[in-house]
Amino acid sequence: MANYFNTLPLREQLNQLGVCEFMDSSEFSDGVNALKGKKIVIVGCGAQGLNQGLNLRDSGLDVSYALRKEAIEGKRDSWKNATGNNFTVGTYEELLPTADLVINLTPDKQHTAVVNAVMPLMKQGATLSYSHGFNIVEEGMQIRKDLTVIMVAPKSPGSEVRSEYVRGFGVPTLIAVHPENDPQGKGLAEAKAYCVGTGGHKAGVLRSSFVAEVKSDLMGEQTILCGLLQTGSILSFDKMVEKGIDAGYASKLVQYGVEVITEALKHGGVSGMMDRLSNVAKIKAFDVSEELKEIMRPLFQKHQDDIMSGEFSRIMMEDWANGDKNLLAWRAETGETAFEKTPAGDVKIGEQEYFDNYLLMVAFVRAGVELAFETMVEAGIKPESAYYESLHETPLIANTIARKKLFEMNRVISDTAEYGCYLFDQACKPLLADFMKKVDTDLVGKNFNEGKDGSVDNTQLVTINEILRNHPVEIVGTKLRKAMTAMKAIKTV
Amino acid sequence: MSEPLVSIQNLNVKYQHKLVIRDLNWDIFPGESWLLTGSSGTGKSSLAKVIAGLQSYSGNVTFSFNTKSALPARVFYVESWYQFKNIEGVANFYYQQRYTSLQAKDTLSVGAELRNFGKEHQLEFTAAEKLLIELQFVTFMNSSLLELSSGEHKKLQLIKALWLKPQLLIIDQPYTGLDVLSRVKLDHLLNDISAEGVQLIIIANDTELPSCINRFARIREGQLERLPSAKLDPVSMERPGRKLPDFLKEAPVYPSDEIVRMINVNISYGEKQVLKNINWEVRAGEKWLLQGHNGSGKSTLLSLINGDHPQSYANDFYLFGNKRGSGESIWDIKQHIGIISPEFHWYFDSSSTVWQSIASGFFDSVGLFKQLPFSKSTKVDELINFFGLTDDKNDLLSTLPLGKQRLVLLARTIIKNPELLILDEPCQGLDLHQTQYFNKLVDELSSNGMTLIYVGHFESDLPACLEKRIILENGEVKKVETIAESCLI
Ligand SMILES: NC(=O)c1ccc[n+]([C@@H]2O[C@H](COP(=O)([O-])OP(=O)(O)OC[C@H]3O[C@@H](n4cnc5c(N)ncnc54)[C@H](OP(=O)(O)O)[C@@H]3O)[C@@H](O)[C@H]2O)c1
Repeated sequence: MANYFNTLPLREQLNQLGVCEFMDSSEFSDGVNALKGKKIVIVGCGAQGLNQGLNLRDSGLDVSYALRKEAIEGKRDSWKNATGNNFTVGTYEELLPTADLVINLTPDKQHTAVVNAVMPLMKQGATLSYSHGFNIVEEGMQIRKDLTVIMVAPKSPGSEVRSEYVRGFGVPTLIAVHPENDPQGKGLAEAKAYCVGTGGHKAGVLRSSFVAEVKSDLMGEQTILCGLLQTGSILSFDKMVEKGIDAGYASKLVQYGVEVITEALKHGGVSGMMDRLSNVAKIKAFDVSEELKEIMRPLFQKHQDDIMSGEFSRIMMEDWANGDKNLLAWRAETGETAFEKTPAGDVKIGEQEYFDNYLLMVAFVRAGVELAFETMVEAGIKPESAYYESLHETPLIANTIARKKLFEMNRVISDTAEYGCYLFDQACKPLLADFMKKVDTDLVGKNFNEGKDGSVDNTQLVTINEILRNHPVEIVGTKLRKAMTAMKAIKTV
Repeated sequence: MSEPLVSIQNLNVKYQHKLVIRDLNWDIFPGESWLLTGSSGTGKSSLAKVIAGLQSYSGNVTFSFNTKSALPARVFYVESWYQFKNIEGVANFYYQQRYTSLQAKDTLSVGAELRNFGKEHQLEFTAAEKLLIELQFVTFMNSSLLELSSGEHKKLQLIKALWLKPQLLIIDQPYTGLDVLSRVKLDHLLNDISAEGVQLIIIANDTELPSCINRFARIREGQLERLPSAKLDPVSMERPGRKLPDFLKEAPVYPSDEIVRMINVNISYGEKQVLKNINWEVRAGEKWLLQGHNGSGKSTLLSLINGDHPQSYANDFYLFGNKRGSGESIWDIKQHIGIISPEFHWYFDSSSTVWQSIASGFFDSVGLFKQLPFSKSTKVDELINFFGLTDDKNDLLSTLPLGKQRLVLLARTIIKNPELLILDEPCQGLDLHQTQYFNKLVDELSSNGMTLIYVGHFESDLPACLEKRIILENGEVKKVETIAESCLI
């Protein structure tokens, strides 16, 4: 199979990359009607499968699960999760021929095999849905021409998809229709109804394309979201230990610091996060992040280039074919890092202290978010898509680190994200070696403000504030955060 | 006279910037076990936390533990509200989660939790086993913490405390959530450890107490006031002043006379069956009392009615005249219902303000995600005024004492004047005044024709309007009857 994106003429490549429309809530006034009374069969009952299914059923839709024979016979967790919640479970042969909508929620790595098994059983004119477009775009999976192909991609882990739904809200979601497979023109209506069924329409929906979703999702996850958070965490921890800071303290600062820092990012964007620092500290963080941007820009660009050309997927798929040799080695290596192995100490760290004593991470986050955003936009991805795949998701990933460090992060994210994360981390650490030599505990481990009188140059501060606030990620972010949560804004004090 | 075990001098304690304890003095001598009472928000729990070393204060608090005693020389505090965490250390749950069948267990099992506790305090597990049997908790050993109801969590905490036998044991609201039988058992067990030398401080508003309690006090205006017995002044049964807002007097419009109809409903988790062949019918306007011991299946039954149970879909039952699982969404169901339960409160997002929390009742959401039209926001204001919460309306829910939080959530349940009101131990955590006030209110509210399902263990906690009763036992309907004046427990 050929990489779908690479088969397109340039004009069409740009065209699909540029599909991006923040949908108005009035576009969802038809609710779940387009899927009402239709038979929905979900293939796979893992993190996304179970939770999306619970939501769709609670929205009044008819949901059942098709699992592979081994899972049913072996009464695997996927079987237990589905039957334990009283879903009908059956084999592909039993359920797929009557399905109107088949939702593929198996791991991306398995998609080719799964879709090849599923497709011949699907009835004429049915719809096939994905929550990530890798299989279609990077592997170039060809779908029968009578079938409609859509994507509904929640921008959150499965557990969040459920917990937000039951509290009456939802998670931001990308939807798309594959232009090669929309014979009846019903794709968009069904994607919208599906999105309402999962609650996504309450939190902001971006109409995207398979191509835009994949190229931006891959870029975000391997650079800022997982890659940089991993590199930044490990380097910060090692630096503190090297400089004699208590390892328990260092471990705690790093584990929870990203979450606290990116919580500010979630609410107020990059400038909101930077505003949590004192003026002197902000100027320092600005300078450090400028330097980081300069050092890391070529690496971000290389990742984007490899994603666009299909080189990234090619080498990753090579590793799949090779029994995940690289992935497993890198995973083991991450598990062995000192940060991973040092439990967070039993020390109290105040909320503000996470900013004051961890200025380095603030600088990393600013550099990473802006670089990822800038690189994506340069490559033809629209700012809204770039925002979701960079700034928006950073706090979600940071939360997984707070829960159980890098191991947990890499367990929760998809296999493509995990592979890309290690790839980035491997290249980024040596790139930052010289930079890290200069870093001392004032940037990480101790309060940067200590021993400083706090005076700053007014014009310098004004300039920096202007640069921060006028960055395109801030401009689009302000707009999206408002639309997304004219609602949630009420919630925060 | 021997040295006091605890000696408190000139204690001052703040709760949310307000001084709640003012220059308080208190000596607790060996052999004394105390009841500490007082209305909600007076600072009882703050005082307990000071003694347990969990709260900052100014003044002097000194301990002289008995060095000759074999009992651990320490204070142990059982909170009225126990916040458990998942394996990764976060307490970010939603209340429907315990009904969802999930293989990947998010929280520790009861057994693991107890073994950890035993290890931490170097206790023999055999001693715990006896308690587990006494309090009928053996069957929960493999349950995950998330699956426990609030009453079961309370038992788990009590088991830990009784197992540890610290020289000073403070229990905040020991009886909330416990059924009648467990309550009797608990009193016996407390008397036993008291006989072994454990001194107790019990914070409660009850008059029936274990006989080992031999000192009584209440907190009033920041001071400790000694009382001759647990008897409090009789409270006036009149609901004070304010008029019920007009919008709550309107009779509900029922889409069907049939509110709930269950036909042989069964719910099980793997081997464990929690509801067996339930048949039950609730008709419009009826006022039901639902009773049963801890773990009898009450909350599962209610979760079916509120659209919160994933296993609803394989059962045969009807809500508001429609067959469950016939294409309705859970939001279609919830719009007819106002519900409160200890678990709901437990998992409620308390980072919203009082006003927002109440307003969210219009949408059945946890957290307010929409702007309210004027007609609705005036209702919120009216209700806030009616409940006497005007001064608190912009405070975050989490900063209020538990009793007040409960009132806020009660206001939230009735804000839309629902057809069906489900009150699952609504008065847990309220003091005597608040309880009676609230139950009067329920009587008044439901006189408009509203349907009511009420869960309460104790006679003193019940509104007068209840007319029918269903009793569950081990997941089965044990009895359905009409309530005659005299037949309450
Ligand atoms: N995780 C996220 O945060 C996230 C967010 C948005 C979108 N997505 C997308 O959602 C999809 C599913 O991801 P996930 O994280 O939910 O996956 P997951 O938790 O790993 O679940 C995968 C499910 O697929 C089944 N499965 C595995 N291999 C299979 C095979 N060869 N044939 C048939 N079934 C197979 C598994 O069950 P058995 O092994 O028991 O058969 C399991 O139930 C992916 O496309 C992913 O990119 C994920």
